[in-house]
Amino acid sequence: MNLRIVAASLVVSIKIFFREKTTMFFTTTFPILLIFVFGTIFVDQDKVSFDLCLQDLDRTETSAEIAKALALTGKFRIIEVPPAIDATQYAKNNKANLVLVIPKDYEKSYTQYLQFDNPNAVVTIKYIYDPSSSSVDTKMQILDMVFAKMNQGLSGKPPFISRAEISIHTRKYRFIDFFIPGIIAMAVMTASLFGTVNVNTELRQKGIIRKLSTTPITRTDWILSNILYQFVLAVISTTAMLLVSYAVFDVKLQINGWLPLFIVLDVFTFVGIGMILTRIVKEAQGAAAAANAIIFPMMFLSGSFVPLEMMPRYLQTFAKVLPLYYVNEGLRASMVFRDNLSALSYAAIIGTIAAIVFIVGITATRWEESK
Amino acid sequence: MTTEVEHAIEVENLTKCYGNLVAVNDISFNVRQGEVFAFLGPNGAGKTTTVEIADTIIRPTSGKVRILGMDVTKQKRYIVPRIGVLPQGFSSFDRITVRETMQYYSRLFCCRNADIDGLLELVNLSDKARVQYMKLSGGLKQRLGIAIALVNDPEIVFLDEPTTGLDPRARREVWEVMQGLKKEGKTVFLTTHYIEEAELLADTVAIISKGKIIAMDSPVQLIESNADYLVLTLQSVDGKAFEVLGEMGFEPYLNNHKNINVRVERTDDIRKILNAMKDAGVSLLGMDLRKPNLEQVFLKLTGEALREEASGGNGTE
Repeated sequence: MNLRIVAASLVVSIKIFFREKTTMFFTTTFPILLIFVFGTIFVDQDKVSFDLCLQDLDRTETSAEIAKALALTGKFRIIEVPPAIDATQYAKNNKANLVLVIPKDYEKSYTQYLQFDNPNAVVTIKYIYDPSSSSVDTKMQILDMVFAKMNQGLSGKPPFISRAEISIHTRKYRFIDFFIPGIIAMAVMTASLFGTVNVNTELRQKGIIRKLSTTPITRTDWILSNILYQFVLAVISTTAMLLVSYAVFDVKLQINGWLPLFIVLDVFTFVGIGMILTRIVKEAQGAAAAANAIIFPMMFLSGSFVPLEMMPRYLQTFAKVLPLYYVNEGLRASMVFRDNLSALSYAAIIGTIAAIVFIVGITATRWEESK
Repeated sequence: MTTEVEHAIEVENLTKCYGNLVAVNDISFNVRQGEVFAFLGPNGAGKTTTVEIADTIIRPTSGKVRILGMDVTKQKRYIVPRIGVLPQGFSSFDRITVRETMQYYSRLFCCRNADIDGLLELVNLSDKARVQYMKLSGGLKQRLGIAIALVNDPEIVFLDEPTTGLDPRARREVWEVMQGLKKEGKTVFLTTHYIEEAELLADTVAIISKGKIIAMDSPVQLIESNADYLVLTLQSVDGKAFEVLGEMGFEPYLNNHKNINVRVERTDDIRKILNAMKDAGVSLLGMDLRKPNLEQVFLKLTGEALREEASGGNGTE
């Protein structure tokens, strides 16, 4: 290995990067755009509220209390449905996934229940809903809780079971705090894999690799210069992402030595995989498709966007064979939970994967072209 | 590893196969130190395969190739610093300037004292030093490729079809650079399908066809040893001239100037042809009789022409 040759190749790559304005723009802005999009979605996740269509057939002061109680939870924005309209038809016409119908004689039954202690005086509130909607279950669960509380209040007895929340973390974190490390890991992976595959297939197709093979540069020098170049890009994009995260979303993340270490291991792993792909797939289009085939499962199954607990058990097991999972978990352990021991164990696993992939990448890289 | 050897390049029973295709078939030749050696042949003849084995890009299937006495398959790391290569269809980094490209390659060879300005002057690119590669014309790109091939002051320079795809003016500019290398005493291994290029520059020409070397000598000797006939050129606008020659048992063909060439082996044949033309009433505008040139020797030896249209492609052979 010759460090002067590695440095010379790195300088050329960086010059090309800064002269290709579109590449530079997308490398730095794409992860920032992702943070803006997902950050905006998740930053106020605790304050999320749903539209709720409510048809009050009773039209009394007592029935109006239900609407007020529901609005007070902060979970619903109430949309009144006129009593003359068929609620089912209304739901279909207005694409409403849930219409709550308070029956006629609600107040009468309520009075009988309270004043005359009549146990048969009950009311049924109808949930007219669209089962194909993904959010309707959440809405109905919140409604059930509200009505359970109201029923319990009407019984005149204090609740027997109450709850006390004790977080396992010493600080309170929001979803965005967990999300940012995942986005950093994912952005570094995407840039490293695509960058390596695109640059190397292009250089091979143009015959530049063939020319380089007649110079003293070795495969190790070439791959190391690729890794260093991708590391420089990763530092630029990670810095940009963190600045936006702190400035716009006020995240509370710990920046320490683990961050550059996990970025280096992320780069090593995915540049190595990129080198292997470049060897296997000859054409630029095929290489990009192969890179996508690796990136998409990593993105969605390794916990970058979606918490693993939301996935089926077999996918959770599968996630543990994906290198990106260990980068995600390692970054979260160090940046969010400040758990050095966990960070160390994740670093050891991704470090081993990076070393294997790097060695295979060097072995797979061929200056000589087969025909 | 610096040793004095008589032959800069030694090729012994070299064969290269790609699956069932035999691209180079058991060829042997030597290139002396300081000579310009031209591999002449049509596309697909095996020129590029041979040169790419010699300049360490690809490995042979069998046979031996020694560069400056070193085996290309075992001593690549010692060979590479001592050779310069212009590969076929040379290309470089689009957004890197001419000077930066030269600096990069000089760093790859760890040449701290590379005379970049001198090399740019040699290939007449001094005024383009700050221009990015993507903005250069085809001829300028090739000249940069040659300058890069010289950046490590190599003992042997491999130039694989250095003028393919260039217009006649750019081609002549590249020839001037190559003549400069010859004067400097560099060993040059050149592949080309331009007869004129080989004839002008080469000390030795090897004619290769279908993976085999079919003749090898200096251009003058090649012509001498194969000139057992004369070429009669007839200038005529009368299409009947072709018919008459055909009926007499000759095989006439049109040359580049659209005149009729016919190969004659006895001087008596010339008198017979002229009489036949007169009897048939064919009017001749002029005639010429001379020994064959290298192109005609090539045609005789290979049975195929080096067509200009075939030169456009950069297909690897």
